[in-house]
Amino acid sequence: MERMVIKIIKIILSPLLAFIAGVFFLGLARKITARIHTRYGPPLLQPVIDIIKLFYQKSISHGPMFNLGLILSLAGSIVVVLFLPFARMCPLSTSGGLLVILYIMLFAPLGMALSGGEAANPNISIGISRKLILGLGYELPLLFILLAVMTHYKTISIIKVVEIQQETDWALISYPLFLSGIAYLLILPAILGIRPFDIVSAPQEIASGPMVEYAGKYLALVSIQHAFSLFIGIALFVNLFLGGANNPIIFFFKMLAVFIAGLFVNAVLPRLRIEQAVRYLWRWPTLLAFLGLVAVLIIRR
Amino acid sequence: MDRNQIIKWLRQPDKMAQKYSLWAIYFCTGCGIIEVPPVITSRWDAERFGVIPVAAPRQANLLLITGYVSIKTLRAIIRTYEQMPEPKYTVGFGSCPINGGMYWESYNTIKHLDKYIPVDGWIAGCMPRPETIFIAITHLWTMIDKGMATGYKKYKGNYKYYRKNQEKILGELDWPPLYPIRD
Repeated sequence: MERMVIKIIKIILSPLLAFIAGVFFLGLARKITARIHTRYGPPLLQPVIDIIKLFYQKSISHGPMFNLGLILSLAGSIVVVLFLPFARMCPLSTSGGLLVILYIMLFAPLGMALSGGEAANPNISIGISRKLILGLGYELPLLFILLAVMTHYKTISIIKVVEIQQETDWALISYPLFLSGIAYLLILPAILGIRPFDIVSAPQEIASGPMVEYAGKYLALVSIQHAFSLFIGIALFVNLFLGGANNPIIFFFKMLAVFIAGLFVNAVLPRLRIEQAVRYLWRWPTLLAFLGLVAVLIIRR
Repeated sequence: MDRNQIIKWLRQPDKMAQKYSLWAIYFCTGCGIIEVPPVITSRWDAERFGVIPVAAPRQANLLLITGYVSIKTLRAIIRTYEQMPEPKYTVGFGSCPINGGMYWESYNTIKHLDKYIPVDGWIAGCMPRPETIFIAITHLWTMIDKGMATGYKKYKGNYKYYRKNQEKILGELDWPPLYPIRD
């Protein structure tokens, strides 16, 4: 009974922590980008103010699938968070691990695609097709990377990967896995959707793409989903390659370091075109990830 | 965020959030396009006021109309305004939307924008300096605080009057009325 209660508390608490971390990252992104542009920048809590405002606005729905797709996308992100260890806290650690994450990570873009399809705006169709093509671009190296990690540590559980790394060394600086780690760093901007890979929601080209028809509380849910997806992309990297952490604070600072490195790339690079992005993603990160997988296989023999 | 405002935040979070998060759609009809980029970039940084430019009218709650309004643009302005979710605020920038300005005798511009959509505030001048946008925004904050920025309610209440004016200048409108027209 007591274990049950603790588990329920963990299941409620971990998406909440992920949400707070994600919203903090969104605010920090705007502030740091502003400082790089030599501006003063908005207050750190600006995303919270925006979300509160959006919930008080009158919202326009375009049909039942419009609502359900958005909920599917948000729920998919929350479920991924439940499978990801935040420090040692991982409510669903015993069931599935990396393989499940690989499957459920697809729910968020698919939900957005279903939801946007109902609104029938041409900008949404272009944005969704770009999102799925970009997904195709980074899923291939991501698959190689996860295969290399799972083969090297002989486990599919992230908790075990973290434990082994804490006994020995971080995967990013250990011999066969550093190739995969570098490949993950190269595709991280595409996973997070930041520049040079912000082709999905390019406001100047396609009027913010999939988000163009969302208003009021629907847009608030989209922002919350964005905060979750930021958290997922970075937390997966910290868990797999930076050795996770025993302590939530250390885990948070590791995520912060990765995110700020991503922000510096985001602040100075221009946007790629979609075919340039796919050409890049399928060349260098895929090559490195493939080499990493081969190296792992050779070492094991 | 000011620490003295915490009580205000708890008492009326809707008004406070709308004040500090104005997502603007800059409707640059002609002249104003020069004044807006310095406002949103490094020179005057509108983001510290919570004002950011957005790409779609569905996401915006501040419509900034800069420069003269030709009859063709008026059609787009009305459609943009009607697509924005409530509560929404409009600011006319420059003397042309106020009273026609130097286009007083022009055959294809309108003279008074507030006959066609409700306008909450004006910035006079030809052209006003970019900083005046911040004066307008702080003034709009006061108006939201006191409940005076009620243009969208006026539009709903007097929709028949506005629709009649729009039809008078644009002819038959090819979109359905936003609110039911009562006689």
